[in-house]
Parts: sequence; C-alpha cells; structure tokens
Amino acid sequence: MEYVNPITGFRVDGRRPNEMRQLKGEVGVVARANGSALFEMGNTRVIAAVYGPREVQNKGQQVNSKDALVRCEYRMADFSTGDRRRKPKGDRRSTEISLVIRQTMEASILTHLMPRSQIDIFVQVLQADGGTRAACINAATLALADAGIPMRDIVTSCSAGYLCSTPLLDLNYIEDSAGGPDVTVGFLTKMDKVTLLQMDAKLPMDTFETVMDLAIEGCKAIANYIREVLLENTKRLECQRG
Amino acid sequence: MVGLSEGEKHFIRGGIAQDLRTDGRRRLQFRAISVETGVIPQANGSARVRLGATEVIATVKAELGKPSILHPDKGKVSIFVDCSPTAAPMFEGRGSEEFSAELCVALQRCLLGGKSGAGAAIDLSSLIVVDGKVCWDLYIDGLVVSSDGNLLDALAAAIKVALSDTGIPKVNVSLSATTDEEPEVNVSDEEFLQFDTSSVPVIVTLTKVGKHYIVDATSEEESQMSSAVSVSVNRHGQIRGLTKRGGAGLDPSVIFDMISVAKHVSRQFISVLDSEILAAEAAE
Repeated sequence: MEYVNPITGFRVDGRRPNEMRQLKGEVGVVARANGSALFEMGNTRVIAAVYGPREVQNKGQQVNSKDALVRCEYRMADFSTGDRRRKPKGDRRSTEISLVIRQTMEASILTHLMPRSQIDIFVQVLQADGGTRAACINAATLALADAGIPMRDIVTSCSAGYLCSTPLLDLNYIEDSAGGPDVTVGFLTKMDKVTLLQMDAKLPMDTFETVMDLAIEGCKAIANYIREVLLENTKRLECQRG
Repeated sequence: MVGLSEGEKHFIRGGIAQDLRTDGRRRLQFRAISVETGVIPQANGSARVRLGATEVIATVKAELGKPSILHPDKGKVSIFVDCSPTAAPMFEGRGSEEFSAELCVALQRCLLGGKSGAGAAIDLSSLIVVDGKVCWDLYIDGLVVSSDGNLLDALAAAIKVALSDTGIPKVNVSLSATTDEEPEVNVSDEEFLQFDTSSVPVIVTLTKVGKHYIVDATSEEESQMSSAVSVSVNRHGQIRGLTKRGGAGLDPSVIFDMISVAKHVSRQFISVLDSEILAAEAAE
C-alpha cells in the first residue's frame, strides 16, 4: 500500500510528511480530581486525571520516605478501538504503558518536595487512532500542571515513523500498523533532554537520527501548544478571581 | 470514600429535612443536565451526559451476528459498564469491578426485560436481518468519566440519548436458493435506519436520607443515605424495572409512595431530556 503519494507527497489522511494532526487540549474536565485534562491528537482522544499529592494509601508501596510516590494506571475504554473487544483489565500492554507513563512523569515531577505523599495519575483512552502513548503523556502533563504539582519542565511526547522512504511525523493507526518503525520520544523541552525513547522494527542508524529529530521537533511543537493552553487557563482563572 | 465531619453530616441531613439542600436545590429537583451526541465517531451512536459534576459516556456499537437458537427471531443486546479510575481513585485496578457489575445489572434489568426478552425496552425483533441466520448484536457500553453521585440515572439517560443517536446500516440480503447456505449480506454505508427509542425508559433514583427522600443525590448526600430505590419509567408512565439498594429496610407503603413520586418526577425528566436531545441534534 502507498502511504505517501509519490506525486503530491501527501499521506493517507492528507497531511504532509512533517505535519502533525490537529491538537486539542482542555484543562479541568473531571470536576472532582485535583487536576485533569483532555488531550486530542486527531482522532486519538484521552482523558487524564491526577489525584494528589495525598497521604500514601498503601504503606507497602512506599519505597523511600524522602520522595513522593508516583503511580499511574492506563486504561482503554471498550469502545475506543474500531472493532469492539472486551479486554481483561491489567493486560500486559496496559501494564507496560502505565509503567512508561509513570517513569516519564516521574522524571519531571519534583518528587523530593513532597515526601511521604502519593500522586496518582489515571489515563483513560476514549478513542485510539495511533499514538495513544504520546497522547497519554501529553494529557498527563497537562493534568499535573492543572493539579499544581511542581515540575522541572513540561514533558511532551510525539511519535514518528519511516514509510515509503519518507520520515513521517505523528503516525495514525493506519500508518502505525503498516509495519514500519515507530519511534516514540518523550522530551523535556527547556532542559533539552530525552526522557523516553522507544522504537520497534528496524531502521538504519542515519535514518534513525532524522526520524528521532523529527519526533523531537514534534515534541517541541506540542510543548508550545501545551504552554498556550496553560497560559490561557491561567488567564481565565485570573479573570474569574477579578 | 467521602470524608465528612459530624457538622457537615448534620448540615446535609438538616438541609434535606427542610427541603433546601446544600447546593440550593429542593428535594425533588435535578441538577442541570447537559447532553452531547456523536462524541465517539467510531461507534454507531454515542452520547455524553453531564449531571452536575457527574459525567458519563454511552456508546452503541452494532455488529452482525447469529441469533441464539432459543430466539431465532430476535437480535441480541448486551450492556457493559466500566468505571474509569479518573472518576475516583477507588476505581483503580480491579476496584471498580463490583460497582460496575452492580450498575450493569441494574441497567440490564431496566432495559432488557426478563430472560426471555419479554418487556425489553428495545424491540429485539427489529434487530433481525434474516430469521435464524443473521441479526444485529448491539453492544451498549457505559463509561463513568467523572463521578459525583447518581451514576445510574446518568447512565440510563446517556444510553437513551445514545440509542436515539444510533443509526444502524441498512442491510441488503441476497437470498440463496438453498436454505442451508449462509446468506450473502451487503451492508450499506450510506443508508441508516433510526431506532424507535420512544419506549426506552429513564431511571429515577430516590435516595432516602433520614425521613425524606431526594432525587439526583450528590456523592456527599449518597454517603448519608439509608437506602435507595431506582425506578425505571418509560414515557407512558409504565414501570420497567425496580432496584433497591442500601441495607436499611423500607416500609412497603413508603415504597409505593416512592414509586408514585418517581413516576411524577420522571415525566419532567423525560421532557427535559427530550428537549436536550433535540438541541444536541440541532447542534451537530
């Protein structure tokens, strides 16, 4: 199948190779959570909610009392995928993504400022159309910021791939399941550091570099967008305060 | 789940006794409801319902399947409910299973009727494509995104709206000569059939706090309840199902009283919901 039109250079959904899907971020979607956010990348839509910092609920999970305990759970709605299938809770894929999100968020949260406390991050996928991992991390960042949890920097994540000898930014489901490589990068923009890097399938070293650079550019663009959303939200809050 | 001090508990109970609840509502008054349809494009029908801080999403997916041997002239409908941990940390992991199952069974009781399918709110024989061979399987999924009490009523309302939003593709069947062969089915992606949702009921839960009962309780109010009766009522004022929750016993006469109140309240609720559905469809 042709994933990039050889004449026009457009992709299956009409995007250019280095074009991202439409982003949408909304803060404060779950009323009773300490912080929450909705994040959309095209048709991929996730909700993240943050509870905490609060007292550690299960003392056995506390590793050390100097840092906050960060926990994460990733869940997909039964209706999120094209064909409806009921999956058991806590399957391997969800467990792995929960772990990835937790580690990525832990890297940016200033855990030493909140000793003996726990922060829960819950992400719920409403619609999956490729790049759920990246969308979940972006949603979690927005939700953590909404909860007012101190962070080193904004972590954002974006995927990139390589199909029809073209590096492609932000793969959708069709491109993701094409069998080509899928590089997901988590990036701390201001500190210029990569916190998450995953790739499946194979890719020549020099091509990998361009694909990763493309994903990093995507992360930077998302970081700019997230800043805008947060700024707008803060302005709104300021207005409400009078 | 809800941490309340003695003073707060007293305040909530006192307010209900005086017909002025903590958020300024009267005992039989619902919170503001907002409805949105078509929120999940991948489904055949979907709806999001917000009731105060409670938010639920319901989707309807239709798949072609085989009717059961016992009822060759009827389609199948199944209902599942999931409580997302975003709604409350206690729903994390397997924590939501028991609660989800409770909601799920209560909804099945109200919408699907008895085991034989008699009294179902959805006309199962309208889901049949070829008698005994092909039928539509409807999967109704409810997802609790944010929870502030009264989840059952919100879910039932969301399912009602999602069903009215549902379009089932028109199917052309080319019948083969021999009856044993599988019929060839051609699913149209342009023509859709709308559902008759006029008999789909709403659920009104009356929560008993102290001597009085209230509708649309928040989770603070629910934490003070002694028992709750969920009555599902359709447009014609007929009772489609009934569930009592909570440990405390109820006087039979009180139950009859509650049912008649629920019937009365449901009339207003259905008309509010109807106008919201129309507004949501117009906005789409």
